[in-house]
Amino acid sequence: MNPVVKVEGLRKRYGDKTAVEDLNIEIAKGEIFGLLGHNGAGKTTTIECILGTKSMNAGTVEILGLDPRKQRKQLFERVGVQFQQSNYQDKIKVKEVCEITHSLYKKAVDFRELLVTFGMAELENSMVSELSGGERQKLSVIQALIPDPELVFLDELTTGLDSKARREVWKYLSKLKEKGLTILLTSHYMDEVKALCDRVCILKNGKVIAMDTIEALTKQSPYEDFEEVYLWLTGEEDE
Amino acid sequence: MKVFRTLVKTESKLALRNMDSILFGILFPMALALILGVIYGEKPAFEGAGYTFLQQSFGAVAAIGICATGLMGIPLSIADYRHRKILKRFKVTPVSPGLLLFVQVAVQFAIALTSYLAVYLVLKLFFGYKMIGSTFYFLLSYLLVAIAIYGIGMLLASISPNLKTANLLCSLIYFPMLFLSGATVPYEIMPKALQGASDIMPLTQGIKLLKGFSLGLDLNNLMFPIILLSVLAIISFLVSIKFFQWE
Repeated sequence: MNPVVKVEGLRKRYGDKTAVEDLNIEIAKGEIFGLLGHNGAGKTTTIECILGTKSMNAGTVEILGLDPRKQRKQLFERVGVQFQQSNYQDKIKVKEVCEITHSLYKKAVDFRELLVTFGMAELENSMVSELSGGERQKLSVIQALIPDPELVFLDELTTGLDSKARREVWKYLSKLKEKGLTILLTSHYMDEVKALCDRVCILKNGKVIAMDTIEALTKQSPYEDFEEVYLWLTGEEDE
Repeated sequence: MKVFRTLVKTESKLALRNMDSILFGILFPMALALILGVIYGEKPAFEGAGYTFLQQSFGAVAAIGICATGLMGIPLSIADYRHRKILKRFKVTPVSPGLLLFVQVAVQFAIALTSYLAVYLVLKLFFGYKMIGSTFYFLLSYLLVAIAIYGIGMLLASISPNLKTANLLCSLIYFPMLFLSGATVPYEIMPKALQGASDIMPLTQGIKLLKGFSLGLDLNNLMFPIILLSVLAIISFLVSIKFFQWE
């Protein structure tokens, strides 16, 4: 079966600085793929180059067999995206943000159900500007799920959420995965990565330093805990 | 259509909540119409004129709505959307970001039309105003002036690298145009030198056109503003599309 996401030879430079170097990724249908690395490792740049919101210096990208730059409209009917920072119009309400997103797609799920699932139902008529950081974060994840996507990009999906809310999000995403949803996510929380990801790719200074399943990577290392494994792989563990 | 409807509905609500466009685009010209009405009442424009001062001023006051929405409303909301990366978010959905801009223009034009209607009603109900020329041609010229001024607004939005510059550019263009084009201070009472400076402004030509049609003047004298505004509209739209940046 063709991969859902196929990236070959992706290279991105900002001036002299190389942000991403020769990146190759293939993500299969139904897979949860984690893109890991420290701040500035190139995760967000990679996602934006894949989505086509940033230009790239070299490489090819195919999502669901489509070119995100040339077949944007077709592709984004089937793909949901949550950016790291979500901003909304001034003085807009939660319900209105959802209504707009819902109207953009030919087929979309009932956003009220999503609001209930994420414990946001009673905030429907609140101003987005009055939400807490965690609530805003949940709202941005909801935006990515409204199109009933085959593939979602989640950039730091649970940053700012409390433990309970994080677990709720994980549970919901796992349920969607069982139905065949493919997910590409970035995260700084290794418990989250372990709970969700089938496979991870670790970036350091824009280069891939490891790409495998969590079990395989753990076996390579002298550690049991994935956080320790991650730090060991990135060469940042405490001596 | 569903997208357009939902966006227009929400953006209209946001415009109402924000009040800027309503205040500068509708309430301000209404107040000005009231003041001019109280001062000039049914006085003729000048001795022996076939029309009143208010009839002469109508086109100018009606243009304030275009000026406020075109030179403040449109460029500032586009710059704000870019600043907040809202356009970028729309880029990863099936909608064309161009539609979002079109929605902005549509909502702002609705505010301008409301402003026109409000000014008309104030002058008609309180001061017995009657348009001498054809309302149909007046509205056509109103549309032309709006397209030209909105073109300038889009251009400002396109060339501004950030929200701060957009704010500055808009103020630099909006206020002189508002006060020197005849929209607020009547062109006819300006000294000759100031009139000369005022003539350079596109809005002055637009107001001449609106006045001409509202007073039913000879079309031959209006060819210059018609051609100028049309050329300006085409150039500014082309340039603003060329230099448009989503981020």
